[in-house]
Amino acid sequence: MPTVVVMDVSLSMTRPVSLESSEEFQRKNLAVHGLTMLFEHMAANYRLEFTSLVAFSSLWELLVPFTRDYNTLQEALSNLEDYDKTCIESALNGVSNVVQQEWGSSCPCQVVLVTDGSLGIGKGSLRHSLQTLKQRADDKKFPLPFPFPTKMFIMCVANSEELQTTDAMDNLEELLRLSGGDGQIFTMEGQLCLKSVQAMFGRLIDQAYSPFHAVLHCGNLSSDVQVFPRPEPVVVDDEVDPMPRVVNTDLEIVGFIEVGDISSPPVTSRHLVLPIAVIKEAEDVSTGAAEEPEEEVSASQMAGKSPNFCVLLHGSLKVEGMVALVQLGPDWYGMLYSQADSKKKSNLMMSLFEPGPEPLPWLGKVAHLGPISEAAENPYGEDDSKSPFPVQPSIKRSYAQNVTVWIKATCILLHRLTFQRRPRPSIR
Amino acid sequence: MKMFSVAHKTAFVVDHCPYMAESSRQQVECDVLTKSRAQGVIPLAPVSKSLWTCAVECSMEYCRILYDVYPLNKLINYIVSDSEFHILNTWRQEDQSTHELMSALAAVGPPNPREDPECCSVLHGLVAAVESLCKLTELQHEQRTVLMDTAERVANRGRIICLTNAKSDTHVRMLEDCIQETLMDQNKLAAGSDRLMAIQQCELVLVHIFPMGEDALVSDRPKKEISPLLTSEVHSVRAGRHLATKLNILVQQHFDLASTTITNIPMKPTLNVCEQEEQHANTSANYDVELLHHRDAHLEFFKSGDLHMAGSTSRDSGLKETVTLKWCTPRTNSVELHYCTGAYRISPTDVNSRPSSCLTNFLLNGTQAPGRSVLLEQPRKSGSKVISHMLSSHGGEIFLHVLNSTRSTLEDPPSISEGCGGRVTDYRITDFGEFMRENRLTPVAETAPNPGGRFPADRAKAQLERYTRYWPMIISQTTIFNMQAVVPLANLIVKEALSEEDVLTCQKTVYNLVDMERKNDPLPISTVGSRGKGPKRDEQYRIMWNELETLVKTHAAGSERHQRVLDCIVACRSKPPEEEERKKRGRKREDREERPDKNGTKEPEDRAWQDSERLKGALEKEEQESEVIKDSPDSPEPLNKKPRLAIEEVQPSEKAKGPVSLLALWTNRITVANSRKHQEFAGRTSSVNNKAELYQHLKDDNGMDVHENGKASR
Repeated sequence: MPTVVVMDVSLSMTRPVSLESSEEFQRKNLAVHGLTMLFEHMAANYRLEFTSLVAFSSLWELLVPFTRDYNTLQEALSNLEDYDKTCIESALNGVSNVVQQEWGSSCPCQVVLVTDGSLGIGKGSLRHSLQTLKQRADDKKFPLPFPFPTKMFIMCVANSEELQTTDAMDNLEELLRLSGGDGQIFTMEGQLCLKSVQAMFGRLIDQAYSPFHAVLHCGNLSSDVQVFPRPEPVVVDDEVDPMPRVVNTDLEIVGFIEVGDISSPPVTSRHLVLPIAVIKEAEDVSTGAAEEPEEEVSASQMAGKSPNFCVLLHGSLKVEGMVALVQLGPDWYGMLYSQADSKKKSNLMMSLFEPGPEPLPWLGKVAHLGPISEAAENPYGEDDSKSPFPVQPSIKRSYAQNVTVWIKATCILLHRLTFQRRPRPSIR
Repeated sequence: MKMFSVAHKTAFVVDHCPYMAESSRQQVECDVLTKSRAQGVIPLAPVSKSLWTCAVECSMEYCRILYDVYPLNKLINYIVSDSEFHILNTWRQEDQSTHELMSALAAVGPPNPREDPECCSVLHGLVAAVESLCKLTELQHEQRTVLMDTAERVANRGRIICLTNAKSDTHVRMLEDCIQETLMDQNKLAAGSDRLMAIQQCELVLVHIFPMGEDALVSDRPKKEISPLLTSEVHSVRAGRHLATKLNILVQQHFDLASTTITNIPMKPTLNVCEQEEQHANTSANYDVELLHHRDAHLEFFKSGDLHMAGSTSRDSGLKETVTLKWCTPRTNSVELHYCTGAYRISPTDVNSRPSSCLTNFLLNGTQAPGRSVLLEQPRKSGSKVISHMLSSHGGEIFLHVLNSTRSTLEDPPSISEGCGGRVTDYRITDFGEFMRENRLTPVAETAPNPGGRFPADRAKAQLERYTRYWPMIISQTTIFNMQAVVPLANLIVKEALSEEDVLTCQKTVYNLVDMERKNDPLPISTVGSRGKGPKRDEQYRIMWNELETLVKTHAAGSERHQRVLDCIVACRSKPPEEEERKKRGRKREDREERPDKNGTKEPEDRAWQDSERLKGALEKEEQESEVIKDSPDSPEPLNKKPRLAIEEVQPSEKAKGPVSLLALWTNRITVANSRKHQEFAGRTSSVNNKAELYQHLKDDNGMDVHENGKASR
C-alpha cells in the first residue's frame, strides 16, 4: 500500500515552539523530526513500501515521486522551504493526481497529512472548502473521497487543547469522515517538543507501519515470515457481520492444488511472504532505527545458510506448478505460490481470497476439500491425467443448456432451423 | 450489495386474467424461409403473441439472466394471478431454476378468455406476494440461527415486479394502496410469529403492458415513496420487444449489472443460405457478442472516467451503455496465474444467437480440464494495448475475470534466494514436490462419513501434520530419505491407520535393511561439509538406524500396528542402545563433521568386524573418538544400560543366542565405546532396574565432575 506524505510548508509551520530549553524549534522542525523518524523506521522495517513526498501551501508540489529510496526522502525533508498559506483542498487534489497517475484508481493508499492545525484562512481554507462542499460544479468537486481506497492519517503538530479552541478539530474530523473514515487524527500530548512528536509518530508507526509477522505452518514444518504489505482487516457485510476480519498470525497450509485447477482466481490483495530469522522487531518499533548495521549483516548471513521452510516450499511450488491453499482465519483462505518478476527474481507470494466459506465456485466449499488419500481412487488418476476440479454447479447455466428464448422473431425461425442440419460456426 | 438487500427476494406477479389473452399485435413473419418455394403453395400467415406470452417470455428472460449471474441467494417467487393466486415455486434454492418455472407455467396454461372478468384480478397475486415476502428464506433462517443474539441484523427486504394490464392511473393507485395495507397487516402478523419476518422495505415495480398500436392508459412514473415501507414505480410499455428491452434494463438496475460487448471475435465464415439471412449486413467474419455481468467488472473504468461507451448498439438489445472489449489472440495459457482482482459470472444478452452460442460453446468445450480462457483487450484512445479482462470457463460456468493492469506495488521484490535460507542449495525440492502431490486436495461429498465430526479440510491438515512429523528439509540432513530401500516404509508409516499387510511391508523393509547391513552395502550418507570419505560404514548404518527409528517413533503412538513397526526396528538393530543414541543424535552430528579430520587417513577397511586385529584397530579409533568428544575414558560405565522401549524385544533375543557370538562381542564393545562418548544420565547410572530416584543429582555431582575431567584431559 503506497504512502503519500503531505507536508504543510505554510508560514504558520514556522511558528516557534515555546520552550524553556536553549534551542528554539519551529513546528516545522518538529514535523521534520517526526517524519525523519518515520522514514528511518520504514527504511529499516518496512522498506518495500513506496513513499512519495508532497509539499503544499496554497499550491502543491511533488517533491519526491514514489520511491523506496528513503535517503532521497530524507534529503528532500531537509531542503524544505517556507511558503504562504495552508490550502488543504489543493493539496488533496495533488495527492489524487499523483496516486492515480502512478497506481491507477483501485490500489489502496495511505495518506500521511502533516500540518499544524491552522487550516488556512478565507478562500482555500479547509473551513471554506467544507462549507462550500455542496455548491460545487461537477468539474470542481472536492477531491474526497478519493477514487482509490484511502487510509488517512492526519498528524497535527499541535496538542488537542489548542485544536479545540478553534473549529480545527471539527474540520479535520469532517475531512477524515469524507475520506471514507478509515484512518486517524493524531495530536501531540503535552508540551510541543521532540519527545512528544516522537511519541506521536511512534503511534502512527505502531498503527500503520509495523511489519506484520506471522508463522507459516505446514503440519510440523514452519517458518517465521513477514507478510508485506500488512494485510488489512476486511468487513464482509457491514449489516450482518460488521466486525472486521483480521488475518491470523498463524497461517496454516491446508493442502495443495495445481495451478491449472485454481485457475487465476480473483483475489482481494497480494502480499509477499518473506522468511525472517527471528522476531526481534518488537523492541525496534519503539526505539526506531537504533540498530547496528554490522550486526544485522552477520545475522542475515547466518540466516541465509540455515534451511528455511519458505525456500523449500517456494522451490517445490515453482517446480511442480502448484499453489498451497492457506487458511487465514475462520472461513477465510488464501493461496501461496511462486511469483517471478520480469527480472526472473522469484518470490513466495500470498494472495487473499474474499472471506467466506466458498471463495471460488470452481473449488466448492474449502472446508469440504479433503486429502486425496480419503478418496476410493486417486481423483487425479495414476498418471495425473485427471482432476477433480473444477466442481460442476448443480444447475447448468442457460448458455450451457438448450434454452429457448423466443423474444426475437428471428429466434423462433432459428429454432425451426435447428432441425435442418446447419454447420455450427466455430472460432478460428 | 448487502446480503439482505431488496435484491435478495423478488416476487414476480404476472396477470393471468382474460384480457391478457389479447394479441400483442406484434407480428411474427413466418414466410421468410420459403422464398424459393414451389409455385402454388399458400404463403404462411404472420402470427402474433398474446400479452400473456409476452409477459411470460420477458419475465423468464429476467429470471434466466438473474440465475446465470447469481445462482445463489438471489431468489424469485413466481406468482400468477387470475380469479385466485397460483404460487409456482417457493424461496427454496432447489426451486430456483428456469426449468422449474417453465414447467409450472406450462401447467398453468394460457389465460382463459371465457373466465368471468369480474372475479379476476392481479390483486390476488399482489396480496400473495406480500405474504410471501414475509416468509423466511433458507439464507435468512440460517443467518438468524448463526447470529443468535444479534439475529435482528438479518433484514427482510424485497421487491415485487408486477406485469399487468392496468386500466388507468387510478387503478394503479388502488393497487399501491392495497399493497400498502397488506404490508401493514402482514407485518403485524409477522411480529407475533417465529416463522414470518416483518418487511422492512418493499419495492414495487409495476409494468403496465399494452398491445402495439394502442395508447398507453397508464403513465410512466419514477420511483416514489408511498410509505417508509413501500416505494413504487410505474413503467408503461408496449408488448413485444419493447417489453423485453424494458425487463432487460430492469434486471440490470435491480442486480447491479453492466454490459460488455466482446468485439472482433474471429469465426469461420459459414456458407449457408440461412446463415446469410441471419448475418444481415454483418458480412465481416468478426462478430460481436454482448454479455451481462456484475458491474464491478467495470469498476476501474468508472473510477478512472475512462469508460468507452459504445452507445446503443446496432442490435436492438436496447442497452444504452456497453463497454467494448476486444478479443485477443493468442489465447492465454491455463497454467498461468494471472493477477486477477475479480471474477464475475456472465450471461449472454442474446443467448440463442449464433455468435453468442458460438462464443460460449468455444469457452465451455475447451479440451483442457479447466476449460478455455480468452484475454480481452481494452481499446484505448492512445492506441496502447492494455489487457484488462479475461473470459474463462470453470466447470460449465463462464466468468469475466478482471485483470490488474496498473503498476504493481510489489514490483522488484527481493529474491527469495537473498533471504533466510536462501544460500542453502540442497533442499529436497523434488521430495517436497512429491509430498505436495500426496497432499493435494479433492472435493469430498458432504454426505461422506465425517470421522470425529471434523471437516475434510481439518483432516487434510491432520494429514499434513502426520506427514511432517519427521521431515528433514535438506538432503545432507537425511540418510533414509535418500535410500530407495526405505521408501515403502516411509510411505506407509505416515498413514493414519495401517493394515496387517502394511505392517508386513514395513517389516520386510526393515529386514531388507538388515540384509543390506550384513552385506555391508554402501549408504548414501552425505559427505557435505566433511573432508575425506565421511563416516565409516558401520557408523553410517548406525546413523541410518537412528534416523529410521526417529521417523517411526513419531508415529508409534498412532496405533498398535505402528508400534509393531517400531518394535521390529528396535529388535532388528541389535547395535547400540537406541534410546541413548537418539538422545545424543544432535551431538553425534557434530562428531560426524569432526571425525573425518582425524580418521580420514585411517579409514577402516570393509568387514573390519571379521578380523580381530582390525577390530582392535577400530576400537582404538573409537577411543580416539571418545576423546574427540571430550569425554573421559574412565568415566563410570553404566552397568544397567538397556534400551528402554524395547526391553522385551531385545532381551529374549539375546538370551536365545546362547554362547556369545562374535557379533554380540563386537556389539557389546561398540556399546561400551559409544557409551563413553556421552555423559550418561545421572538418573540412569544410579538406577536400579531402570527405576531411578529423581533429583539425585542434587546429592551427587558426579556427572558434572566427569565433564570437567573431560575438558581437563584434553
